[in-house]
Amino acid sequence: MDITPYPKLFLANDLNEALRALRELADSAIPLAGATWVMRAPLRCETADRTLIDLSRIEALRTINIDQQEAVIGALATHEQIANALNGYNDLAALAQAAGHSANPAIRRMATIGGNICTAEFAAADLVPALLALDARLEIEGLDGSRTQTMAAFLEGRATRAHTDLVTRLIIPRTQRTSTHARLTLRKAGDYPVANLSVSLALGAGGKISAATVAVGAVEAVAKRWTGFEEAIIGHAPSPEKMQMIAKTCLEEFDGRDATDAPGWYRLRVLPGLVANAFSTLQETTLGRAI
Amino acid sequence: MTITLTVNREERIFSGDPRTPLVDVLRDHLRMTGTKAVCREGFCGACMVHVDGAPMASCLLPVGSLDGAAVTTIEGVATLEHLNAVQQAFEDHDVVQCGMCFPGMVMTMSRLFQTNTSPDRDEIKAAMTGNICRCTGYERIVDALMSIRTNEVTS
Repeated sequence: MDITPYPKLFLANDLNEALRALRELADSAIPLAGATWVMRAPLRCETADRTLIDLSRIEALRTINIDQQEAVIGALATHEQIANALNGYNDLAALAQAAGHSANPAIRRMATIGGNICTAEFAAADLVPALLALDARLEIEGLDGSRTQTMAAFLEGRATRAHTDLVTRLIIPRTQRTSTHARLTLRKAGDYPVANLSVSLALGAGGKISAATVAVGAVEAVAKRWTGFEEAIIGHAPSPEKMQMIAKTCLEEFDGRDATDAPGWYRLRVLPGLVANAFSTLQETTLGRAI
Repeated sequence: MTITLTVNREERIFSGDPRTPLVDVLRDHLRMTGTKAVCREGFCGACMVHVDGAPMASCLLPVGSLDGAAVTTIEGVATLEHLNAVQQAFEDHDVVQCGMCFPGMVMTMSRLFQTNTSPDRDEIKAAMTGNICRCTGYERIVDALMSIRTNEVTS
């Protein structure tokens, strides 16, 4: 007999209601954000009969605020919302592009940034490398209070984290940098990337790279910073050809992920080309004007 | 759990598992089989409906999240006597082959023409990204859509 006071889908009216339900139901419940991952559980042969704690009525988690110091994005903001709201900000372009080109328009209308970063099983998320490259921090709320965490620290513990806390906001510092996102899909559109990459750059004297943050997704199970490449490109002009050459010498940091869409070696093979694409985009847009 | 929806301007009540995908409620409970359940991943677009005016993949929408929402399906976009402009263009240009993807195509493209007064080919193709057709090769569909004048769109 089902003795839980919660229906199989519980519409939380506010954050406290959601957190209380998650704590009471523990492993028998899962938060529901955009639903695009959770609703496909049967296709992944996941049979757990879990209660869905629907967050969609918590309007406070949908807001996006951008000022000169930071961009603050609610965890329930959809990809479509983010692509529209961040359009025109050079430093935030990586996230705008990642959100605006993932999956397909209907998915972008539903899928949320919170869901994208909390789904540990989804290696090909586009927003995760973008947030890493933009040095985002997460605000996490629990019944015991709130805390902030870097993306890297969050990703390190993501696979084993309990769902009793909720990511509520993403906080991205504003900078004078310029950024972009590149992705390679096997079909022209509407597909998961076999590799994706976000770049955030600062240029110094003579248009040479003075600082760089680069993150790679889909190649390994969890997106990560490409620190060897970041260091190797300092002091160079950001030409796509040069960047591609340097990228070829920095691939040892990765252990390519074998999956049904592509083998691990292929993901590594295409990565330098993806670097060239990213820097070409930068040259055609903001970087070309900055040099 | 009882959920109330407005489907094609009629109030409908669903009593059952609130995690049930909307597409199954439409097809199995309301017998509206124009909405197709194909990939169930949100990639093919065959299950596209309008929820509060926006095209959404109904395979990914748990019905319990939609209490109070207004849903329009392919059965509700027009009447058999007066097809909407997208349906009429598809018929006039004879682009329909097996027909499995076309309800979803109509739902996506009808909305596009409501929000974009004069889409070009690239904009049409971008909007069609989430609607897969395995028969036609798309170009004749785009040709048909390019023939539409926006004032012909009736819904």
